[in-house]
Parts: sequence; structure tokens; C-alpha cells
Amino acid sequence: MTATPVVRTRGLAKRYRDADALIDLDIEVSPGEVLGYLGPNGAGKTTTIRLLLGLIRPTSGSAELFGLDCQRDIVAVHRRLGYVGGETSLWPGLTGAETLHLLGQVQGRVDDAYRDELVERFDLDPSRKVRTYSKGNRQKVALIAALMGRPDLLILDEPTSGLDPLKEYEFRRCVTEARERGQTVFLSSHILSEVEALCDRVAILRDGRLVEVGTLADMRHLSSFTVEATFDGTVPDLAGVDGVLSVSTHGRQATMQLRGSVEPLLQVLAASGVSELRSREPSLEELFLTLYGGGGGPRGSGDGDGDRATGDD
Amino acid sequence: MFGAFVVATAWSYSSIYKTRAQRDALATAFGSNRAIIALFGPAPMLQTSAGFTVLKTFLTLSILGAVWGLLSGTRSLRGEEDAGRWELLLTGATTRGRATAQALCGLVAGVVVLWVITAAIIVVAGRSSRVAIQPGAGLFFAAALVSGALMFTAIGALCSQLGATRRQATGYAGAILGASYALRMVADSGTGLHGLIWLTPLGWVESLEPLTSPRPLPLIPIVACTVVVGLVAVRLAAGRDVGASTIPERIRTRPRLRLLSGHIGLTVRLTRPTVVAWGAAIALTGLLFGFVAHAAAASISGSSVRTVFTRLGAPGAGADAYLGVTNLFLAILLCCTAAGLVAAVRAEELEGRLDPILTAPVARHRWLGARIVVAAAALSVCGIVAGLATLLGAVLGGAHVDGAAVVGAGLNLVPPAVCILGIGALAYGMVPRMAGRIVWGLVGWSVLIDLIGGIGSLDHWVADTSVFHQMAAVPAVPPNWPSLVALGLIGITASIAACVAFDHRDVQGS
Ligand SMILES: Nc1ncnc2c1ncn2[C@@H]1O[C@H](COP(=O)(O)OP(=O)(O)OP(=O)(O)O)[C@@H](O)[C@H]1O
Ligand SMILES: [Mg+2]
Repeated sequence: MTATPVVRTRGLAKRYRDADALIDLDIEVSPGEVLGYLGPNGAGKTTTIRLLLGLIRPTSGSAELFGLDCQRDIVAVHRRLGYVGGETSLWPGLTGAETLHLLGQVQGRVDDAYRDELVERFDLDPSRKVRTYSKGNRQKVALIAALMGRPDLLILDEPTSGLDPLKEYEFRRCVTEARERGQTVFLSSHILSEVEALCDRVAILRDGRLVEVGTLADMRHLSSFTVEATFDGTVPDLAGVDGVLSVSTHGRQATMQLRGSVEPLLQVLAASGVSELRSREPSLEELFLTLYGGGGGPRGSGDGDGDRATGDD
Repeated sequence: MFGAFVVATAWSYSSIYKTRAQRDALATAFGSNRAIIALFGPAPMLQTSAGFTVLKTFLTLSILGAVWGLLSGTRSLRGEEDAGRWELLLTGATTRGRATAQALCGLVAGVVVLWVITAAIIVVAGRSSRVAIQPGAGLFFAAALVSGALMFTAIGALCSQLGATRRQATGYAGAILGASYALRMVADSGTGLHGLIWLTPLGWVESLEPLTSPRPLPLIPIVACTVVVGLVAVRLAAGRDVGASTIPERIRTRPRLRLLSGHIGLTVRLTRPTVVAWGAAIALTGLLFGFVAHAAAASISGSSVRTVFTRLGAPGAGADAYLGVTNLFLAILLCCTAAGLVAAVRAEELEGRLDPILTAPVARHRWLGARIVVAAAALSVCGIVAGLATLLGAVLGGAHVDGAAVVGAGLNLVPPAVCILGIGALAYGMVPRMAGRIVWGLVGWSVLIDLIGGIGSLDHWVADTSVFHQMAAVPAVPPNWPSLVALGLIGITASIAACVAFDHRDVQGS
């Protein structure tokens, strides 16, 4: 028997007046896992997160956290999670210290020592009023507030927007520590290096639909990669070989896109006298661009960008 | 709205005060009454429709206009800056000073439009023999009516440079308006200090004396004040950083954690400044009304005044009757407080500050319930303060009143405000986008209905929709217990429904 997933949604959907923001989402996150939740602007990431938080109601389907319904058992669920949004609004008249104290009390999980450690690590001046904080500093307050209670689940929606590279590094350390402690993390982000560094699995959303879930290794495996070969003699005909998607030749050099097993290609190459062979995995960037853009390779002006007028396409 | 109100008043004059004798009685009752003059400004020529119209509308509308002016001034300057839209504008091909000047010109244009509409209504309606206002006089009257709005638009712009937030800026501008009113009142109190009238913007407005004996001279300080204040605002705007204020703000404070042990404490802390400001306004107004009650009571002997008072629900004579009527104004203030508290709840969600609380283990109905309970408690305190302040004023002014009844009259104001609060909360729970409009609309409607009811007669089904109409004019008459209980129950039921509705709707994020 496996443990209850920390996050589980079934057919989760949200329709706003004129557009589907999320369509039929089925996703599970196991305890201790760090899930990267990716997708172009307007894909429905924030919508998913607000559904998980019980802040908005699904049009259909259901969402559970810790096996509890996100709508009905909202208070019990919230007792065990911490949330950071990308646009943090706080009370301008309160100081950083007052805000952290208040949120600690409201969350009911207070560890003053850990909070002070985080304040130190993120280099926050808590005696200033929130009104005078820069965006990055407000974001730090929200991050510290979510991390300080060591909740079982961290739901993070673009948590590092506005942070400088040093603080972003500190954030990565905090998430790594959280994972070591066994906390589960649901991380939506546009920063691919962050996702690559932190996440066990990645889910990719486009136009409200889940298009891909899996480990990065799986995704790399599924996607095509590039092989470059330089031949001693003439270039053989490679287009017909199993797994080769496209070939371009340049004198005695050939570059091909390959998906699946390399076995058939290697046999052909071995028979043709290859002097040099290089293969390159797609960079993560290329991978995501392919997936964001709809599988047709990187696109300059993808239709995935921006908000949609109608949900179905 | 201004114009319609003026016309309605002039119209009603001829229907209420039909005979010469009635008009003379009115003139002797109000025209030389120091209390009335102190509150509403001098009232010469009450035998004429013009004099009556001026008394009834001039200062009240001028103050309303001034409030409108200062609010639009702070909203379009400091409010825009708070919201970050100002910054966006400044990245265009403009400078801080020029952008401020442009915004100010836009606002002044708005005042001019107000003047044109008001003038048009007065002039057109003035042709009717019952209203009878000459075109020239009508134009001047309209100009006098909007001159308060003009000056306070500029003052609002200036205060937007001084304060660091819209609330602070509005506070400064409101204080200037309050001081200006108080100074004018002292000047008109007949203690030989009439010269002070030249020191206050509202005094200049009053000195225009439209309709009765028009004097254009005070237009000079009015225009000069607007121009100078506007220029200073532009200079200050050009010389400061975006988002900063001219009056420095304390940015570092020692943490005050006493109230911050939960969301209820936070609510108290967030509600406090609003309530203190409104409470101070209510206390001051109550004190004033109480103070002049004795003098005013002496003049309620005339039968025509009695007619008006009776229509407003305060039959009889003496300080009690006077306070019964003035309490209506306190009730309006208290209901505005309630509406303001609802608007604050809405702002909390709109600006995204609800997320940190509602993603913690706090049930939504508990959060909203706490907001409502704290607001209701604050309104009750304001009611008691209103009663006590009125009593204090009455005692100082030498009126003989029953202390318990006057304090009770303060508490009598609370159920209508709670009713407004509950309905506003329900609107927030169900249709948050409309909550502000619904709650302010309800207050405005109630005021309008009650004032019209006081002037002419209204179908009682219509009159009953005003929460003020439901409230008895205590201490002139005993409290109307069934009405109070009904208002309170509506408020409580609506509040409970609001909490349930809030549990079942989407929460908007930032
Ligand atoms: N309150 C709302 N009313 C109407 N439509 C909405 C509302 N909120 C979101 N949407 C729409 O739902 C879709 C998904 O939005 P969502 O905020 O979930 O995107 P996102 O993936 O978080 O994007 P981003 O990367 O820009 O944060 C968008 O098309 C958006 O326009
Ligand atoms: Mg988003």
C-alpha cells in the first residue's frame, strides 16, 4: 500500500465566465516530493493553486490535500500548509517583524528561533514598515512566513519573483532543506534553472491542460536529441533509418534529430566509416520551449503566450 | 444633483410657507437665531424663497462640494500614486510637475462641468414662477455652490503631496475642511469676531451671499487660493520622489505586538484609525449640536418651524425637539462610518491582503464574522460617544435636558448603522464588486428620502425604505422599539447570511 498522496486532483476544472482556465486536471504529488509546475503565461497555474488552497471553487472535479477535501476541510488543510504568492500584498502600516509575528500566530505554528534564522539568512530588516519595503523585501517576508512553520506542504506560486540572485540561492537552499526534512513542495515557476535544480518531477500545463508530467530524465528521453557525425567518405542516406526525424548535410558532415533508440543509427554509421561523432541532449530550455509551444519546436510567437479568449482549441 | 436639490428646496418653500405670516414667523425664528446661523450660515431674507433656499442648501451643498473636491483631489493624485499607476504615467514623456498640473487641470475642468450643469438646472427651473430665480442670479449661485469644491480640489492636490498615503492625504485635507468650518462658525457666532470670516475658505464662500445680496468680491480670494495652492502642489510634486511624501514619515518603529496574536486583533488594529477619525467627527458634531441646543430651543416656538420639525419626526418644542432633529445628522455620520467599514473590508480583498490570512487555518466565515462584530462594536462605541458628547455640549450650553435620554438618543443611532453594516456585508459576501456602490447608495438614498420627507410629504412605502425614517427622533420622542429591533435583526440576519455566502464564493487575489 502506498502512502496517501499529499496532493490529488480528479477532473479538476475551472471555468470563468468566458474562458476555461483549467480543464480536467488529474495530478498527484507524493509525500516528500518536489513538483515543478510549469507553463506559459495564462496557462492556469495560479488557478490550480488557488483551487488547491480552497480560495476559489472548482466548476467540476475535486481537489484533495492530505486526503482531505480542499473545500470542505479547508481549515484542517490549511493547518498543514504554507503558501507564497507571486504578488505579495501585506499591511503597509505594519513592520516586517509585526507581520511575521501576526502570521506566525494566525498559522498557529511558531518557531521563533527558526524564524530569526530565516530573517538573518534572507537579510531582511524587520524593523521597517512594510510600506517602505521594495518588492523583493515584501517577497522575503512572505517566504519567511511560509517557511518558518515548517509546514508539511509548501505551495509556492512564483515565489522568487523580485529576489536577487543571492536570495534566490538562499531560497533554493531552504527548499532543499525542506525536502530533506520530508516536506512536500508544489512549486510553480518561470525560472527553469530553479526548477531543474529543485524538482523531482515536472508537470507542464498549456492552455489549461496538462501536457506532460514526469521526471526531467523521462522528458529528455522522450524528446528528440541531436547527433552530429563527420564521415571519412561520402555521407550515406540516413533519412530512412529508424528513429531519425530529420537530416541535414554539410559537405562530409551530417546533423540529425533522433528520437528513441540509437541502435539502428549506430549500425548504419558503423558501416559507413565515421571519423567523428557527437551527440547532444536538448538543453532544458529547448525542451520547455518545445513543450510550451505545442510540440512544433521553439517558436517566436507562440499562441500559448497571453490570455485566452476561449478555452477550447 | 446640486441643481436638483436647490430647485426642490425653492419649490418646497412656496408649498410649505404659503402665507406671509408663516414666512415672517420663519424669518424671526431662524433669521436671527445664532445657533442656526452658526450651523448653516447667515439667513437673511427668509421671507423670500431665495433666502430660504440659501439657508437650506448653500452651506450644506458647499461642504458636500468641498468633500467631493478633496476626495477627488486625493484620489486622482495620491490614490493613483498608491496604486502605482502614477509611475506608469511618468515613464511617458512628461515630468512629475507637469503630470500633476495636468491632473489638476482635469479636476478643475470637472468642477467647471459641475458648475455648468448646476447653473443650467437652476436657470431652466428658475423660469418657473414657483422657483423664480433670475438667470444671472442663478449663474452666480451655481458658481458660489461649486466654489468650495474648487478650492478643496486644490487643497486635496496639495495634501496629496504632503501625506504618504491616500488615507493620510485625505485626513490632512479633511482636517483643513473641519478647521475651516469651525472658524467660520466662531466668526458667525455673534461674538464680535466676524472679521475671522475672511480667514477661512468656507467664510469666503459664505460671503458671496448669492441670491440674497450677491457680492462678487470674495471670488478673488477663492480664485487666488485655488491658484496658489495648486501651484504649490505642482512645485512640491516636481521636487519630490515618486511614492515619497513632503512630510517625512517614520519608517522604523519598535514592534507593537499586543494586538497581533490573531486575525481578530489585526482587525481591531486595522479598524481603529478609521473609527477614531469618524468617532472624532461624530463627537465634535454632537458637542456642537448640544452646545447650541439651548439657544435653538428658544426659537422652535414658531408654528412653521414646528411644522418642519414635526415632519422630521420631532414634534414639540425645546432642546429635546432640536436634538431630535440634529441627531439625524449624527445618524448619517454613523451610517457613513458603517459604509466606510464595509468598503475597507472590500479593499482588503481587492488589494490581495486577504490571501495571507485565508490561506492560514482561519475559516472565512470567522474572518468576516470578526470584521462585522468588531465593526458593530465600534459603531456602538461611536453611538455612545455621540450621546455623551451631545450631553456634554448641552450642559455647557445651558440646556436643560434629561441626561439618560440624550445618551439613549446616541444609542438609538446604532441599529440603523448596524442595519447598513449588515446589508453592506451581505453585498460583500455575494457580489463583492458591487458592495461599495450598494452600501453607499443605500446611505445616500436614505438621506435623500428623509430630507425630501422632511420638506414635503412622501408615500410611506417609499419613506419606509430609508433607515433614518425608521429611526425615531429621540430624545424628542421615545425610541421606536419595534423599528429598532427590526433594524437590528435585519443587520444581524444579513451579517449571518454574509458569512455563509462568503464561504461559498471565490476569493479574488491581487
Ligand atoms: N478572475 C478571473 N476572471 C476571469 N478570468 C480569469 C480570472 N483569473 C484568471 N483568469 C484566466 O484564466 C487563465 C489562467 O490564468 P492563471 O492566472 O491561472 O495563469 P498562470 O498560469 O498563473 O499565468 P502566469 O504565468 O501569467 O502567472 C487566463 O486565461 C486568465 O485570463
Ligand atoms: Mg500565475
